[in-house]
Amino acid sequence: MEESTNPSSSSFSTTSYTSSRVGKGGSEFLSNLPSRGLFSSSTVLSTNPGGIRVYVCDHDTSPPVDQVISTNQTNILIRSLMLKKQRNDAVLKDVKGKSTTEITKGKRAAERMADGRASAKRASLSLNPRSSQQEKSSGCAFDKEIQSLTVDKLRILLRGRGLSVKGKKEELIARLRNDNVDGKHI
Amino acid sequence: MSLWNYVVTAHKPTNVTHSCVGNFTSPHELNLIVAKCTRIEIHVINAQGLQAVLDVPIYGRIATLELFRPHGEAQDFLFIATERYKFCVLQWDAESSELVTRAAGDVSDRIGRPTDNGQIGIIDPDCRLIGLHLYDGLFKVIPFDSRGQLKEAFNIRLEELQVLDIKFLFGCSKPTIVVLYQDNKDARHVKTYEVALKEKDFSEGPWSQNNLDNGAGLLIPVPMPLGGVIIIGEETIVYCSAVVFKAIPTRPSITRAYGRVDADGSRYLLSDHAGLLHLLVITHEKERVTGLKIELLGETSIASTISYLDNAIVYVGSNFGDSQLVKLNLHPDAKGSYVEVVERYVNLGPIVDFCVVDLERQGQGQVVTCSGAYKDGSLRIVRNGIGINEQASVELQGIKGMWSLRASTDDPYDTFLVVSFICETRILAMNLDDELEETEIEGFASEVQTLFCHDAVNNQLLQVTANSVRLVSSTSRDLLDEWKAPEGFSVNVATANSSQVLLATGGGHLVYLEIGDGKLAEAKYAQLEYEVSCLDINPIGENPNFSQLAAVGMWTDMSVRIFSLPGLDLIRKEQLGGEIIPRSVLLCAFEGVSYLLCALGDGHLFNFLLNVNTGELTDRKKVSLGTQPITLRTFSSKNTTHVFAASDRPTVIYSSNKKLLYSNVNLKEVSYMCPFNTASYPDSLAIAKEGELTIGTIDDIQKLHIRTIPLGEHAKRICHQEQSRTFAICTMKYCQSSNEDSEMHFVRLLDDQTFDIMSFYPLDTYEYGCSILSCSFADDTNFYYCVGTAYVLPEESEPTKGRILVFVVEDGKLQLIAEKETKGSVYSLNSFNGKLLAAINQKIQLYKWVLRDDGSRELQLECGHHGHILALYVQTRGDFIVVGDLMKSISLLIYKHEEGAIEERARDYNANWMTAVEILDDDIYLGAENNFNLFSVRKNSEGTTDEERARLESVGEYHLGESVNRFRHGSLVMRLPDSDVGQIPTVIFGTVNGVIGVIASLPQEHYLFLEKLQSNLVKVIKGVGGLNHEQWRSFNNEKKTVDAKNFLDGDLIESFLDLSRNRMEEISAAMSVSVEELCKRVEEMTRLH
Repeated sequence: MEESTNPSSSSFSTTSYTSSRVGKGGSEFLSNLPSRGLFSSSTVLSTNPGGIRVYVCDHDTSPPVDQVISTNQTNILIRSLMLKKQRNDAVLKDVKGKSTTEITKGKRAAERMADGRASAKRASLSLNPRSSQQEKSSGCAFDKEIQSLTVDKLRILLRGRGLSVKGKKEELIARLRNDNVDGKHI
Repeated sequence: MSLWNYVVTAHKPTNVTHSCVGNFTSPHELNLIVAKCTRIEIHVINAQGLQAVLDVPIYGRIATLELFRPHGEAQDFLFIATERYKFCVLQWDAESSELVTRAAGDVSDRIGRPTDNGQIGIIDPDCRLIGLHLYDGLFKVIPFDSRGQLKEAFNIRLEELQVLDIKFLFGCSKPTIVVLYQDNKDARHVKTYEVALKEKDFSEGPWSQNNLDNGAGLLIPVPMPLGGVIIIGEETIVYCSAVVFKAIPTRPSITRAYGRVDADGSRYLLSDHAGLLHLLVITHEKERVTGLKIELLGETSIASTISYLDNAIVYVGSNFGDSQLVKLNLHPDAKGSYVEVVERYVNLGPIVDFCVVDLERQGQGQVVTCSGAYKDGSLRIVRNGIGINEQASVELQGIKGMWSLRASTDDPYDTFLVVSFICETRILAMNLDDELEETEIEGFASEVQTLFCHDAVNNQLLQVTANSVRLVSSTSRDLLDEWKAPEGFSVNVATANSSQVLLATGGGHLVYLEIGDGKLAEAKYAQLEYEVSCLDINPIGENPNFSQLAAVGMWTDMSVRIFSLPGLDLIRKEQLGGEIIPRSVLLCAFEGVSYLLCALGDGHLFNFLLNVNTGELTDRKKVSLGTQPITLRTFSSKNTTHVFAASDRPTVIYSSNKKLLYSNVNLKEVSYMCPFNTASYPDSLAIAKEGELTIGTIDDIQKLHIRTIPLGEHAKRICHQEQSRTFAICTMKYCQSSNEDSEMHFVRLLDDQTFDIMSFYPLDTYEYGCSILSCSFADDTNFYYCVGTAYVLPEESEPTKGRILVFVVEDGKLQLIAEKETKGSVYSLNSFNGKLLAAINQKIQLYKWVLRDDGSRELQLECGHHGHILALYVQTRGDFIVVGDLMKSISLLIYKHEEGAIEERARDYNANWMTAVEILDDDIYLGAENNFNLFSVRKNSEGTTDEERARLESVGEYHLGESVNRFRHGSLVMRLPDSDVGQIPTVIFGTVNGVIGVIASLPQEHYLFLEKLQSNLVKVIKGVGGLNHEQWRSFNNEKKTVDAKNFLDGDLIESFLDLSRNRMEEISAAMSVSVEELCKRVEEMTRLH
């Protein structure tokens, strides 16, 4: 094997190499190349690509009905907000006790599916009226979130429930909270 | 030309974009699948080599191609995603030999910014999901369920906006991607994410690595047991996993492609921008990576994809040069290279420019392209039809027939060439010095015309003359036996094979002789009602010496009849119809299918499928080959039999995929041809032309012939000058020195026959050749080459300086006559009213050629026109100038002689980013834009208001799926003045993928007919993978998507000929046009290219 006077450097007119980089290694590393016994004949034949058969597809090519794939249209932001909320809920429930979390787990999964279906219609507000057990069990979370909303958003929520939109923020929150409790009783 | 256009591919894309290896066609067969932008090719790898099985057109530009194996499947599926956001999963059904669509869908999003760095499509190694990166900031997931079925896709937000590469990691319990990205400070990092399918979100991955090589651009995931990822940079290569980080420096290079060698991922092949192939080795102790090593193996084409096949054979697919099959040798050759190229696959892409010339002055265009890029740059001469490489020729007048004979029956080569004249027969033979000299066969009659000759069994030769049939020993050359024509009758036509003779004398007498050892025996006789015009008993059955059928063409009733032998019983009679007599019949078999060919006196040819057992003739087809009588002969080349049809338009008839194809031979007129396969000139043909006998070999039998002139530098513009018989090209040469890459630009002059470089002119540093033109000027008879240049300075975003150089060719040298500095890049030059029209940045300027007092010449600015963004492409016709703008579509200018001014007449108000323009006729202009669409606009001269007249109306739209770099008027085929197709004007285009296409302007009636055929074909020929033809051909850019109009898809229409008979009949019924008529109309269209 050539080491110092490397003939390969002259073979590639466009480049020059440092002798340390080329040389004996090739042979060492090129041994035991994987083989399944193909290309075993001494001359490698390759058919003329000009003579290759052109595929003409005259059978039905539509995929099976359930394999027509489309993209879930849920907005990523909404999905991530929902996810965040679920995570928060989960954390809260963990605090409350493992038994409740386990019960609600199944429910949430079912609920998510329903959400997925209705997602297209949903407005960009994360706080929808949800008459579920979750809110009862996490009343303080509801309070916290509601506190963080602006007056405008609160008014939208109130209007959505057919309630009066007049008054200060505290009044609005109180009205909403009452409605929530009432709603559950009905 | 007209606004009804037919677009067809003459040369398919050859630019290889993707390749992969797997068990696709069967669990036990290894396949190589190659994507060539809009087509995929399926190859089978076996002990003999690589066998191309199928060429599949795809209705889309392939963005990603992956083989994968879902759980529980025995063979691989193919995942294809197209640039227009469609995807499909294909499975090969071995039983029906069909591609079955397993899944398909649309993965586009209504909003989203398409990625800058190309679409990415990857499949989890454990087959849990398909990942797609199509829009910045979004990662799309198509999950698999447990049965390998795909489920609804969803998007995940990806924080990294400038993604360079994404790959799945091996051996992760949750599907994990590794993302290589650039931050807003241009630093590059990798990060991993786990895909949480249930939550439809990412969670932090196991590791990340910040601040990599600034040129890091490629990720290679390493299979288990090692795992992790290799990050290829421009100066370093890094191995990274949760536990190990190893880096090695490399010589600065941009790695474009990699291929995994070992299943365990310990060796990889890398190819860089200079086409150097390296081996990357991961050294490891058991499962712990200890380091990386890189070894230079040698040079290949600049690779776009590398697939290790088997047994040290590697497929190197290329965008910029020919794709190759290379062998990795254990020991270096004399030049120190471990790489041996065993096969090259011609690639014309990217066609940057081309010109259409008629170098042989035969009335047939040839396309000379500037192909390839960087070191793989070349010129390619693309020619339709088959060439004859002349090896010897003699002047001989009045040849009436030619036959070759062997010295003995088992001699594999021919020795004698019998040449017949009106009243003599001469015999030529190869002597010991491999020269053709006249000789004698004593037993032959030499003072009369020979009608037929053949080798016969038992070392005998046979000669048929008007009076007799002579059987001669090939060893002693003496007459052994003679059959004499009856008194008062002479033989008109005769044919023979090794053991049979069939001849016809005047009066419709058909005589059948059998050849024995030294004996000729009259075996049968038949009286026909008319004279016989031609005969054939070429054996196509099992016995190569004996034919069971005889074909006979008749005068008077214009029929061709099939007789059985030896009984000479009539078993079939086929009326040809019409007034023209059959002049030559031939029984032949191609690819195991038997045919009867029957050529008429007016240059038409019938072909029938022949049932060898019953003599039944079916599937009658008629084509026009020329205008003069045709003589048919078989010959073989490369162990395959073909038919030569000698006439005023010599044609080779051959079969591909059991379909007869006709390819014209590049000779003017051939009266006779016979194969002359001698030891010194194997596989040669003897060809009788006007007053000349030529011995030559024939090119490979295929439609387009491509000759390559390697340049070693990137040719960018080409132009031919008839007067000096030269080509001038603008080239760019890349010089790589140890630390810096530089470019040099040249104007080179080439001989148009030898393509030798005769002279060159180096351009200044930073000066690019942008346009080239051969022209003459008013008041000056000389022809000049004008070259437009630009100084592309690194600090300028747009060139502000350029030159126009005027050269004359003197003594084979380029002489600079004049130069003119310009205020920008000279993108286009046109000869215009004896002046020079240049497009310079945003201006169009007209220069006149003036004589100075000292007798020298100079270019002087006459007038100009402003108002373009960048006027890139200009075509002229009369006083009209059509400009293709960088982004403002097409505008029409007019030169006003009186005022000496150029004014805008009309424009297209669409925002098309142009890549080429051409003028079809006075009113209709053709454009190509950078979303791979074609469109045509029409000047509205009849508009009632100024506003209407100032608008170029868009009249045709079509998605070509190819990026067109140049249109040129011209044709690849010899124009037959007698056929309808001969009158159809055509434009040729060349594209980035190496496609040469033809746009033909049809008469409206013709267009409507084909349009109807196309709409019927769409119902029968389905898009592979459920992709839709209508959607594929709809004009599409960022702004709009509209259905194709006034352009027809010739590729689809011509695939009619590949349909089964049943399908053809289906279409025939739907259109109420006979199958024969449809075939004829479509075959006519195929003769445009």
